[in-house]
Amino acid sequence: MKNLKLAARTTDARTLIPVGDITLGRDFVVMAGPCSVESEAQTLAAARAVKAAGADLLRGGAFKPRTSPYAFQGLGLEGLKILARAREATGLPIVTEVLDPRDVSWVAEFADILQIGTRNMQNFALLKEVGKASRPVLLKRGMYSTLEEWLNCAEYILSEGNPNVILCERGIRTFETYTRNTLDLSAVPAIKELTHLPIVVDPTHSTGRLSLIGPMSLAAVAAGADGLLIEVHPNPAEALCDADQALTPEMFRDLMARLRSLRAYLEPSTRPDGSPGRGIEETP
Amino acid sequence: MKLDEIRTKIDKIDRELLVLLQERMGLALRSTKFKDTISDPAREEALLSRAERLNLDLVERSFTRQLLETIIRESKRLQGEDRPLVAFQGEHGAYGEVASRRLMPAGAFIPCLEFVDVFRGVEEGYLDLGVVPVENSLEGAVTQVNDLLTTTDLKVIGETKIPVRHCLLATRGTDYREIRVVYSHPQALAQCRGFLMRNKLEPFPYYDTAGAAKMLARENPKATAAIASRLSAELYDLDVIKEGIEDGASNSTRFLLLSREAHPGPGEKTSIIFAVPHEAGKLYDVLRLFAEAGVNLTRIASMPLRSDPGNYSFFLDFEGSLHQPEIAALLERVRGLAIGLKVLGSYPADTSAG
Repeated sequence: MKNLKLAARTTDARTLIPVGDITLGRDFVVMAGPCSVESEAQTLAAARAVKAAGADLLRGGAFKPRTSPYAFQGLGLEGLKILARAREATGLPIVTEVLDPRDVSWVAEFADILQIGTRNMQNFALLKEVGKASRPVLLKRGMYSTLEEWLNCAEYILSEGNPNVILCERGIRTFETYTRNTLDLSAVPAIKELTHLPIVVDPTHSTGRLSLIGPMSLAAVAAGADGLLIEVHPNPAEALCDADQALTPEMFRDLMARLRSLRAYLEPSTRPDGSPGRGIEETP
Repeated sequence: MKLDEIRTKIDKIDRELLVLLQERMGLALRSTKFKDTISDPAREEALLSRAERLNLDLVERSFTRQLLETIIRESKRLQGEDRPLVAFQGEHGAYGEVASRRLMPAGAFIPCLEFVDVFRGVEEGYLDLGVVPVENSLEGAVTQVNDLLTTTDLKVIGETKIPVRHCLLATRGTDYREIRVVYSHPQALAQCRGFLMRNKLEPFPYYDTAGAAKMLARENPKATAAIASRLSAELYDLDVIKEGIEDGASNSTRFLLLSREAHPGPGEKTSIIFAVPHEAGKLYDVLRLFAEAGVNLTRIASMPLRSDPGNYSFFLDFEGSLHQPEIAALLERVRGLAIGLKVLGSYPADTSAG
């Protein structure tokens, strides 16, 4: 691939991104939480539940890119404040999406990781803006994008001076309609061949089916992913978006236990640099 | 003007009315220190008839009278409550008021322009208590206040440590993305410099943090925010866009509660000021007394004497009370060594984390 001056892998050294007391690229990291911030109570309940199950970061959207302009667009600034309170209550760092270049500096004031959604992967004005931010960026793969296009988008961010980019495979559009998208798990080892940047997998949006989230999470771990991004809602039936694909806290807890067993079995061979990694800690 | 604009202006006027009413009530409370009875019918009638003379076509005379009578009635009710008047420096919402509210929750909080107004007001009996900052964890001693402490007869009867949590405030409905200019006290602006730079906001110095918040509420200028306390947001109905925007580790300010009378109880902490002759080992001799008595010092600061710039006053806070015989004896020995010893008083220690 040409022109990946900063994103291309040239040595075995991998990008390590410290967030709170964990390090992306070295520790296996689980980011979990609701699709969107709906209220303080819902977000705090979700944060406490995922923390208790062993998640490392809280995800949650304050600005929502929706297919319909009439769908819930997110709480905006109020949502950011709620996320900051959830971090105060649980200690979990926050990953949240930013949609508008004008919002980047403000979202960075509240969040620990800025997420660029699949629909904005090639929004170059936005990429340049997050490239100037002081926070790591989680760059989701565009649903119609090749790996080369995706890595070029990472290059946009890196070239603006922000070295901390995390890639997120979230499924691509194929002719299959049973699943919402097709999770391209081959992207995980492929990305590791092509770049030094960490890659996490989103089993929620890629499958869009509750029953597939667990198996695909385990498969992502087996494929060598650096982490997972999973939707968990304290009461999925009442969720304002993606109600039919969020795990309940109980389902998430079970999944975390299975992930732990699998990782214990695979350690340390799944670590690209041969280090033992932090592993997933036992829940208290 | 469209409906939206009209409503924005009406909201602004309502806020202004309430801020002014708060000020009026404060002044009415202060007036009680100068009169024997609350009620003054001649003054009330003069006030009402003066307002009625105004020829306002939309504010009818009967309404004016009714409105002012309501205000006067409420004002008299407040005067009857006999709340202690607690003076602080700055506008309503200043960190001094945050400290006052913590020290005297049932007080009436009276803003003063200068620290000296707080001291003189309490000394002369126009105000009951004063709350003044003595030291900040980042900036050090508040020299004006320490200087006033050396000459006052007031007693220290309490202390509190207030965490300084700066908030970015804007009038409700302001789109944070449109903010370009931020008003506040130069020290607050300096403490939030990183935040202002990251968000491309232009700092504008203002005389007071809470004063900047009050100006926002009253004038609602476009694209403008202020940096002040959360209390300011509550007092002036402003939106807290972000709390804790200071750059460094959080800083705190220690405030003292001043009164004409000493604290009635024993207290656990004592503040003194002394000077020693300009000779080798004199300061050491005093400090040695505390060391030998096993008394823990919690603050030691020095300040040049205004009357004699070559010499220094020393401010000492320590654990222990004047009611303890061993402390009283210790201070007698200090008195023997020092040129001057001023005992500011013993008071309950603020044990909160701050």
